[in-house]
Amino acid sequence: MTNTTGSSTTTALSVTGLTKRYGTRNVVDDFDIDLPTGVVAGFVGPNGAGKTTTMAMLLGLVRPTAGEGSVLGSSIEDPAAYLDRVGALIETPAFYPALSGAENLRMFATVGRHDTSPIPALLDTVGLAGRGDDRYRNYSLGMKQRLGIAAALLGDPELLILDEPANGLDPEGVREMRTLVGDLAGTGRTVLVSSHDLSEVEQVCDWLVLIDTGRSLYQGPTSDLLGGPAHGLVVVAQRPDDHLALFDLLTARGDDIAAQDGRLVLRVNGSDVGDLAAAVNRAAFDAGIVLTELSPQRTTLEDHYLSMVHGGAR
Amino acid sequence: MTRIIHAELIRLLRRRTLVAAAAGSVLFSVIATLTVFSSAQDSGPRSRRGGTSLAALTDAGGGTEAFAVGASFVGFLVFVTFIALIANEFSGGTFRALLLREPHRLRLIVGKLTGALLVAAAAVGLAEVCSLAMSVLVAPTQDVATANWFSMASLGAATRDYATVFAGVAGWAIFGTTLAVIFRSAPLALGVGFAWAGPFENITVDSWDAGYRYFPGQVLGSLIQGGSAELGIGRATFTALIYTGIAAIATLLLVSRRDVTA
Repeated sequence: MTNTTGSSTTTALSVTGLTKRYGTRNVVDDFDIDLPTGVVAGFVGPNGAGKTTTMAMLLGLVRPTAGEGSVLGSSIEDPAAYLDRVGALIETPAFYPALSGAENLRMFATVGRHDTSPIPALLDTVGLAGRGDDRYRNYSLGMKQRLGIAAALLGDPELLILDEPANGLDPEGVREMRTLVGDLAGTGRTVLVSSHDLSEVEQVCDWLVLIDTGRSLYQGPTSDLLGGPAHGLVVVAQRPDDHLALFDLLTARGDDIAAQDGRLVLRVNGSDVGDLAAAVNRAAFDAGIVLTELSPQRTTLEDHYLSMVHGGAR
Repeated sequence: MTRIIHAELIRLLRRRTLVAAAAGSVLFSVIATLTVFSSAQDSGPRSRRGGTSLAALTDAGGGTEAFAVGASFVGFLVFVTFIALIANEFSGGTFRALLLREPHRLRLIVGKLTGALLVAAAAVGLAEVCSLAMSVLVAPTQDVATANWFSMASLGAATRDYATVFAGVAGWAIFGTTLAVIFRSAPLALGVGFAWAGPFENITVDSWDAGYRYFPGQVLGSLIQGGSAELGIGRATFTALIYTGIAAIATLLLVSRRDVTA
């Protein structure tokens, strides 16, 4: 591995050929990742894809079998050179059950040589204000996850690495965690967050890293993957009785059309979706059919994800 | 290193821990003193392994004799405690979490061990003081003269007793840490530790006297008691240093080389 100290400051994290082999199995296999500074990157892949192992290697917990690169300008061979500027929550939150949340943070701050004065503010940031003196063993799963985020924020890190922070949370907890990560995104930090919640990733992340069986499937701006032109136009008539008439009307127009769950979906076929929507709206109006929905249909992250991971065969 | 020790003390020096340590020390001193004084023989054994003699109790070191004799089982208690403390750090993920704050693994494990040993040192000291106080109370009831207990020689004996007991405790702590690091699971490490230091060593030495000189638990037991009939203090110290040195090196190698996945 080469020492890459001094690499571009616009790159928060850059690793090539990262590999971790256990026995004969490559858990992470020749994986490349290049993360610009300031992005909120979603790290997406199925269970066992190698996300946690990759993060553990970036954090110096697991020794790579091969690969080279840098984190915040320092070689991944020397995690001590950058870990004081990195905050992380890896696997499950781990704290001392007999200590309170605040005591745990104080202890971790002491070990990391961080200022302990922002601890009350950090507890407030993660929604644990007023619960900081409760013992960790009495925390709910959601509170534990939030304390994990607070610990990751100790020392005001430049890079946050969060491993499935919403794992195991109920829907309300997932929503709260999404809001929290979204708020962190607004602070200018670089964030790498692994998640199974594709809608969360789609909403919060402006950068995507897709991984499967230890190999990189895609990495780049979310907009590049999801921001393509609409491939369909969804049309819904107000009255169910008009559904068939609308279908016949659009078929007569020569539109490539399919009925899906009480909706009609027109294939855009390279034409401008705005022009097509206007034409469909006009034709429906002329036929006395009132539309309640006329919206472009784009490929979602879930569509891309399933297509890449399973070849669209799910 | 000092901040890791400080952090460990934040964790350990809580009211509940302090009360438990104080209660344990007092309980130990009461049981050890009553047992040693009531079982003291007119002409006791040469070593403290089988108890003590009335003559030893009236000597300069008599005030802390109960502490030294009774401390033999403290080592095993420390062994078990350190296994639980360190193994739970691995299985519970806190060692992993701490490594994100202190990536120098050796500094982290040595700092944690040092912090815990500082607490153990204080507990041992408290136990010795409590034992002395208890001995002062019990001595008149057993017609044991205490005139020699408050001299410079008695201070020297107390210091010697403290040193040997703490040296043994530190050895047990290192063995416990080694097992915890090897197995990274408290139940597994405790099972192996119990089996070795309990039945295996003690049953084997019944039929193999040399076991007193070679088994780690027996060596540390002799060290804690300031030497025994089977193993003098010099040889016990030397052997214990070799064993704990090997254990410490194995621990440091494992901690520095292995992936932290839990």
